[in-house]
Amino acid sequence: MADFHTSTHRANWIFSPQELVEKYKAANQRAIQTLEKYGTTQMEVDADGSLSYPEPIARDNADKHSRPKPLNIEEEQFMRVFYENKLREVCSAFYFPNKIQATALIYFKRFYLQWSVMEHHPKHIMYDSSKSLSDTSSNALYLCMLTCVYAACKIEENHVSAEELGKGISQDHQMILNYEMIVYQSLEFDLIVYAPYRSVEGFVNDMEEFCGVKDDENQMLKDLQETARLEVDKIMLTDAPHLFPPGQLALAALRNANEMHRVLDFEGYLRSILARQNSEHTILQLIESLDAIDAWVRKFKFPTEKDMKHINRKLKSCWGHSSHDDSKKREKKRHKSHKSLNEAHNGPSLA
Amino acid sequence: MQLGILRTSASVSCSNPPPLMAIAGAGQLNLNESPCWGSRSVDCFEKLEQIGEGTYGQVYMAREIKTGEIVALKKIRMDNEREGFPITAIREIKILKKLHHENVIKLKEIVTSPDGNKYKGGIYMVFEYMDHDLTGLADRPGMRFSVPQIKCYMRQLLTGLHYCHVNQVLHRDIKGSNLLIDNEGNLKLADFGLARSFSNDHNANLTNRVITLWYRPPELLLGATKYGPAVDMWSVGCIFAELLHGKPIFPGKDEPEQLNKIFELCGAPDEVNWPGVSKIPWYNNFKPTRPMKRRLREVFRHFDRHALELLERMLTLDPSQRICAKDALDAEYFWTDPLPCDPKSLPKYESSHEFQTKKKRQQQRQHEENAKRQKLQHPQPHARLPPIQQSGQAHAQMRPGPNPPLHGSQPPVATGPGHHYGKPRGPAGGPGRYPANGTSGGYNHPNRGGQGGGGGYSSGPYPPQGRGPPYGSSGMPGAGPRGGGGSGYGVGAPNYSQGGPYGSSGAGRGSNMMGGNRNQQYGWQQ
Repeated sequence: MADFHTSTHRANWIFSPQELVEKYKAANQRAIQTLEKYGTTQMEVDADGSLSYPEPIARDNADKHSRPKPLNIEEEQFMRVFYENKLREVCSAFYFPNKIQATALIYFKRFYLQWSVMEHHPKHIMYDSSKSLSDTSSNALYLCMLTCVYAACKIEENHVSAEELGKGISQDHQMILNYEMIVYQSLEFDLIVYAPYRSVEGFVNDMEEFCGVKDDENQMLKDLQETARLEVDKIMLTDAPHLFPPGQLALAALRNANEMHRVLDFEGYLRSILARQNSEHTILQLIESLDAIDAWVRKFKFPTEKDMKHINRKLKSCWGHSSHDDSKKREKKRHKSHKSLNEAHNGPSLA
Repeated sequence: MQLGILRTSASVSCSNPPPLMAIAGAGQLNLNESPCWGSRSVDCFEKLEQIGEGTYGQVYMAREIKTGEIVALKKIRMDNEREGFPITAIREIKILKKLHHENVIKLKEIVTSPDGNKYKGGIYMVFEYMDHDLTGLADRPGMRFSVPQIKCYMRQLLTGLHYCHVNQVLHRDIKGSNLLIDNEGNLKLADFGLARSFSNDHNANLTNRVITLWYRPPELLLGATKYGPAVDMWSVGCIFAELLHGKPIFPGKDEPEQLNKIFELCGAPDEVNWPGVSKIPWYNNFKPTRPMKRRLREVFRHFDRHALELLERMLTLDPSQRICAKDALDAEYFWTDPLPCDPKSLPKYESSHEFQTKKKRQQQRQHEENAKRQKLQHPQPHARLPPIQQSGQAHAQMRPGPNPPLHGSQPPVATGPGHHYGKPRGPAGGPGRYPANGTSGGYNHPNRGGQGGGGGYSSGPYPPQGRGPPYGSSGMPGAGPRGGGGSGYGVGAPNYSQGGPYGSSGAGRGSNMMGGNRNQQYGWQQ
């Protein structure tokens, strides 16, 4: 059977907490080193989807006061969470089925396992100084997020053109297409992902049998399912999806929902699952996993406005918009080769 | 399975940071280097020979430099794609990464071309290399398949297809040139460029512009947009008959002729033999003006009794009555003497790929042309020889047709929203549309297999796609605590075994094939 058990999701994308920390650290360190060497971290994604690094700048030219300050790991986490939330907003705005949102979110999370948020910066983005970086739609994370949504729509057979999706950013939708390949490559072309939402449905159906439901209890199960869905929403913004299989994430969500609705003896249900599956694992191991998932949800923090302001300031410095000369130089080059693509380009007004 | 062990068993996709620093000075990220993320470079392979060519791009035989392993490289064409990476390639990658079966071609990895750091025109899918495709093999001059050999190929074809169907994948382009065969006698389904996931309830509207014309079932020709695995089974029936008969049985040149050929053999559909047929969109346009009786048994009366019985059930007009892969594997045909042979016992043949034998065949064609010109009165030779041990003479010649166009002259049907990925660069139909065509070319019907050049690694033109089911269209079985949708709900694991339960152990016959358990339905019916 082709299912989660044999999937690339299970084989390549479930990590230990240590592995996860190391991946975040590695990406962060790499970006910091680039910053030290080149004064900017932005990798540019060209119209043909290729990546390029900045021209190295001479050290003595760099103004000591505007020396860019890199983000730390926690700040990177904030940045990701912020855009994960944005991703959901975009998907709701388009009335996409929940599955698209779930797939896109997992893509986005996986993408930033491979990259630091400081690293990716698309060319040809028009900065509007009247907006802060967090709410202009024209920044790398936003674009990357949109590309993940675009890819998810393709994979889930819910066709939306890049143009339609790009309308929201008042940018050439070509940007999304430029980014697409980098996204697939960063995902290592492992395109089928398993979100816990379906597992929740499956378990609830199974619970119907387990409880031998009567009609009035049916409503209770529906409430349980609805609450569990919201619990999954919370879990999905944490690192737990990188650490646990979707079935366990779903059970953690259902357990919390059951605390509220008191529909069934949850531990008894867990035992029955393990018994039916002849699992070598004990109920204690399973409960330990569910507790760990709960812990991730409890320690989850969403950035405050102040946090975001601070991070965005730093990020701007990392992307090199404080170095006027450098930006100008870049600008010239850009105009030369891509006049037609972005004629309205006025230069980086943030400089 | 392991609730806790999942973590430890997960491999780390990347242990070393990429050597970005080393090359950053050049201002370009060097995709040549094997990065920790993404794909290796095509430079890891040495191209040996082009083995296919078509609208999709090229297929090469190549050697992996590090290991010496021989592979097939299929280039994905990226230019002229208004919607980025082609959806057909996405589907093929997605589906092939999901399917793991000995009768389904294995996608080993994706590599990129480093030229100028541009990905456009430079994405390759790396497949295991297969020496032949069924059409190419059958078209070898003097080739005669034995009955156990035909049974062996058919059983592998059905086993692979059953696996696809159990996993909710429709192949939608089953034909000889997409069935690859290696020198161990293994047969594998290839070219999933038209394949897609389906849901059990058949509620989604799918495009009917799929499957190469000669192998296309009557429901698609009549315009149905809701269909299921039965479409592939019709194609299997066509291949089966072709193997026994020695040449294609429905070589139509366009849709009307295709339907007519089908009706001539299988009778005309009506509400009696196919309840509901009159509601299919183009039934009234195509329904025959004269009564036509089913003549299949009469035409193929020389076939073995069990073969004929199975063929009858595959070439059933009504898709809901058509035999499914699982039942076909249970047919008497596979369980009576002579039994299917062991693939390994099959003879080894010199590689037969179109590109390698093209010149040879061209010369041969020329030779034949000359011969024809000299003695015009001579009848055309048979396309292929009927199987050895086949008693009785093959049926009267059917005219080998021209290109079987994939889409032909059928009116386009908008089954989905206005936009779709990829350009519908379907052929307008007619010969010569595809410069280099199927591996089947050559011997007697040079243009056969129109869009399938490259034998199975190729992707056909992309047809406009209907909107898929809003949920579950790519077949996400809800992952349960053991992870899998199949087992996650604790109602028993599916008892389908990948190993091909139709091996030599006759004892377990049929009993293992109960693939359709209720678990699967969870994943799909929404």
